[in-house]
Amino acid sequence: MKTVSLTIDGKRVKAHEGEKVLWAALDNGIYVPNLCTLRDNSEPSAACRLCFVEVEGKKQPVPACTETIEQGMVVNTKGPGALRLARTALELLLASHPVDCAHCPSSGSCELQKIAAHLGVKLKTRRFRKLLRELLVDSSSPVFIYDPNKCVLCGRCVWVCRERLGIGVLGFAHRGFERVVTTFGDGPIAESKCRDCGECVVACPTGALTFKDKQGTVKSAHKERVETETTQ
Amino acid sequence: MKITDLQSVLPAFQGIKSRAESQWRELRDGGKPVIMVGAATCGRAAGALEVLRAIKDELKKQRLDCPVVEVGCMGHCYAEPIVTISKPGYPPICYGYVNPVIAERLISEFILGDDPCLEFVLGALEENDLVPSFSDFPRAKFEKKVILKNCGHIDPEQVEHYIANGGYAALVKALQMQPEEIIDEVKSSGLRGRGGAGFPTGQKWEICRNAGGRPKYIICNGDEGDPGAFMDRAILESDPHSVLEGMIIAGYAIGARYGYIYVRAEYPLAVHRARLALRQAKKLNLLGKNILGSDFSFDIKLFQGSGAFVCGEETALIASLEGEPGIPHYRPPYPATNGLYGKPTLINNVKTLSSIRYIIQKGAEWFASVGTERSKGTAVFALAGKVVNTGLVEVPMGTTLRQVIFDVGSGIQGGKRFKAVQIGGPSGGCLPESALDLPIDFDSLTDAGAMMGSGGMIVLDEDDCMVEIARYFLEFTQRESCGKCTFCRLGTKQMLEVLDEITKGKGKIEDLDMLSWLAEDIKAGSFCGLGKTAPNPVLSTMSYFRDEYEAHIKEGRCPALMCRELIAYYIIPEKCERSCDACVGTCTVEAISANKKRIKVIDQEKCVKCGTCLDACPPQYNAVVKLSPPSQVPASK
Amino acid sequence: MVMTEEQARVRQQTKRILNRFGRRRGNLVPILQKVQGEIGYLPREAMLEIAEFLDMPEIDVYGVVTFYNQFRLNPPGKHSVRVCLGTACHMKGGYITLDAWKRRLGIDRGQTSPDREFDLDTVACVGCCVMAPVTVVDDKPQGKVAPTKVDGILLSFKLEKERQGEESR
Repeated sequence: MKTVSLTIDGKRVKAHEGEKVLWAALDNGIYVPNLCTLRDNSEPSAACRLCFVEVEGKKQPVPACTETIEQGMVVNTKGPGALRLARTALELLLASHPVDCAHCPSSGSCELQKIAAHLGVKLKTRRFRKLLRELLVDSSSPVFIYDPNKCVLCGRCVWVCRERLGIGVLGFAHRGFERVVTTFGDGPIAESKCRDCGECVVACPTGALTFKDKQGTVKSAHKERVETETTQ
Repeated sequence: MKITDLQSVLPAFQGIKSRAESQWRELRDGGKPVIMVGAATCGRAAGALEVLRAIKDELKKQRLDCPVVEVGCMGHCYAEPIVTISKPGYPPICYGYVNPVIAERLISEFILGDDPCLEFVLGALEENDLVPSFSDFPRAKFEKKVILKNCGHIDPEQVEHYIANGGYAALVKALQMQPEEIIDEVKSSGLRGRGGAGFPTGQKWEICRNAGGRPKYIICNGDEGDPGAFMDRAILESDPHSVLEGMIIAGYAIGARYGYIYVRAEYPLAVHRARLALRQAKKLNLLGKNILGSDFSFDIKLFQGSGAFVCGEETALIASLEGEPGIPHYRPPYPATNGLYGKPTLINNVKTLSSIRYIIQKGAEWFASVGTERSKGTAVFALAGKVVNTGLVEVPMGTTLRQVIFDVGSGIQGGKRFKAVQIGGPSGGCLPESALDLPIDFDSLTDAGAMMGSGGMIVLDEDDCMVEIARYFLEFTQRESCGKCTFCRLGTKQMLEVLDEITKGKGKIEDLDMLSWLAEDIKAGSFCGLGKTAPNPVLSTMSYFRDEYEAHIKEGRCPALMCRELIAYYIIPEKCERSCDACVGTCTVEAISANKKRIKVIDQEKCVKCGTCLDACPPQYNAVVKLSPPSQVPASK
Repeated sequence: MVMTEEQARVRQQTKRILNRFGRRRGNLVPILQKVQGEIGYLPREAMLEIAEFLDMPEIDVYGVVTFYNQFRLNPPGKHSVRVCLGTACHMKGGYITLDAWKRRLGIDRGQTSPDREFDLDTVACVGCCVMAPVTVVDDKPQGKVAPTKVDGILLSFKLEKERQGEESR
């Protein structure tokens, strides 16, 4: 396969032809915030709007997950325009996220925390109104707990359950602000065709899906696997 | 594809045409009066079907035998129901505001007698010495009917009417041209997509023709989701074959095998008429295998959109056809090369497609002679709101907004003052008085912060609050957002929260900065066109009507007296008439009572601010007023 | 789980409708429209039957049903009331009309009255902007619906019902 060389944040890097900027950057140790991408998903969903970068010659910042690399391309992941959009997107997510890290089993492994630190954004944002939904937490599964209020709708769990495992229990339903990852008829997971494999929990970047331990309390067990998932 | 043999197509069509023409002649020149009733959805909402029944009953009673034809929308929606009578010896006369009683009189006095009932006349369709004709109206100078020409003048359910009026001749001509010739013709006509974005149609066709992959598809986008727009509905209801003909020609030009007409399920009559038209065209071999004996085969199916504004976006529309939620997909590749089921797909708006037959028949030069340098042809608008002549309007591109609103539309209802015009629906903006002399074309409207959009034009007067209209549109896009991307799902929700607070008098002045900041980010950061344009109504009202925002925030006052939390209804005791109880009886929540002096008083706690009392109070007293802020209501004694 | 009579009936009815369609995912929306057209709404059993027929995850049928405005998960009332909230209707007081309906029927949008007589919903625009504010009652668009006309429409239904009651007696 042909390789292409480009510059990201002043660093000369090489990547396979046809690769997206996001992966070229991550592969070369340059972090670009992202939530909704998975490497083996061929069509970028481009939903989270966190991976904006600036490309020389383009008037506006572009999402790195949809931008294909080109020979000689000059990318800046820290341009003011890109950072402004990424920060706004993150703050919008945080404003609709119950920021209760002290009691959240995912604290420490949560990608929202990681991205906030990267972008220099406070977790308790002041700029926007707090807009929470009051959705029921589903603890019916013997293996994990699903708290849809903490979900950022990245779709990783949906993709894994469907494409990688071929089960297709989880999916998106409803529209707009009401959009949610759920099961058929919004029913409890235990009543669905879930096989309790827990792969969705591993894929989840936030505290929306967390493992139960043997005592039935919640355990944060997926930190390492998340790390390898996103940076390999 | 080889040029179809002239000899094979013409005879096949000649027979169809002459049959249609003789049927049309029989109707027009059969020696009997012909009665046409406008029965599109707008006419029906005004009672056209009751009028139709009254006419038929009266004819039966009088033992008269004259044809009654259901036609589409003439565009004079303000005067619905509309009846046109063509009686031998008279010009065709159009009557407006017809009800069953008037209908009976028209039969007994004009059809049976010889009194054309001038008091109900709207205008004659031809110049004559008896009654004023439409061409004498001031608006006639500005209007130019091209794609609306048939609307209201033929029975949309009779394909023969369409053919007798020149229909499908363009298809016959096209079948004798090379596909490339057709595309060149469309390109040189300068036609741009009428769905809103204004992409050059010929160029889109060319990309699609050159794209690899079979079969190719054509989709007619009739998912008219803009609240306040009804052009596509009117065309599909009044002249469906013009859309079909455009689609078939496009199909031939790009080498497509299948087409879909995508119509909103909320338009049941348009669905019915489009479906009927498809059956008729198929029966006459204008659709299907080897059209008119040529090598070209093309089929069209009807698809009902299930109600999602975002499906106006091409990739979302395709997703819904494939049985998915209407969530936009990343492009490129564009649908023209990778569309429905991954095949090259041409998506054109209803009005774009219905323009095609004129370009083929009359030539690109003729089409391009109308309009401006960069926007050719005519623009169709659905004129609604506080304008006198609401309805469908077709004017050459380049006509000014003032001409459309004040000359064609005859200005503002009730002698009120013009405040703004909303163009382009939820993606467009509100333009003030100072922008009225802008020529209507794709570019100048965008420059002014609005958008051509698909053609909804809502006129607003002094009673309309600009903050409220911005809030309304945002609520709409917010509700219609697919929810996929962060900016549109959560950003517009944040904006809506702030606007809600402002219209309730709870806004803060620094909110305005937050709004414009966030609006810019949503425009730049959203995934699809819906999100990218969602802030436009807010940005345009904030730039042209900032004083109204400030009045809401700083004084708790709604200058237009519209925002319910900021107004109160009050009965001025000095003006209230003791013997009158009109308001008491109409109040839907029993909030009005008479005091000891028989003066009526509104219980502000109970009042739901519906305004019924204001309408009920007789004009000679005019005692009910709206006050803002509500604290202006004097304390009751 | 034992299937109730009602559930079995829905399954049968759905199967009959499905016979007329090919097993293509692209038929999903037309199928849903047809089933809702006949049953009045989309019961759980119908959605399961459809998912099986098209060989797709059940959640995906549910995702499509909850995405589009047209589809409903609850049985409709005898009469449908659709308040148009298009721009022209809104600016001419469509929201006041909606309030009047809510008040009189005692239900919110998207709900069916307890006596199953009426269901209330809103529609983005029915394209009758010049008759604003519009309410579509049983598929017939009614123009210029002020709160007093809401009462008038309800009264006419009431009278109609009483008349039918007398006739049947």
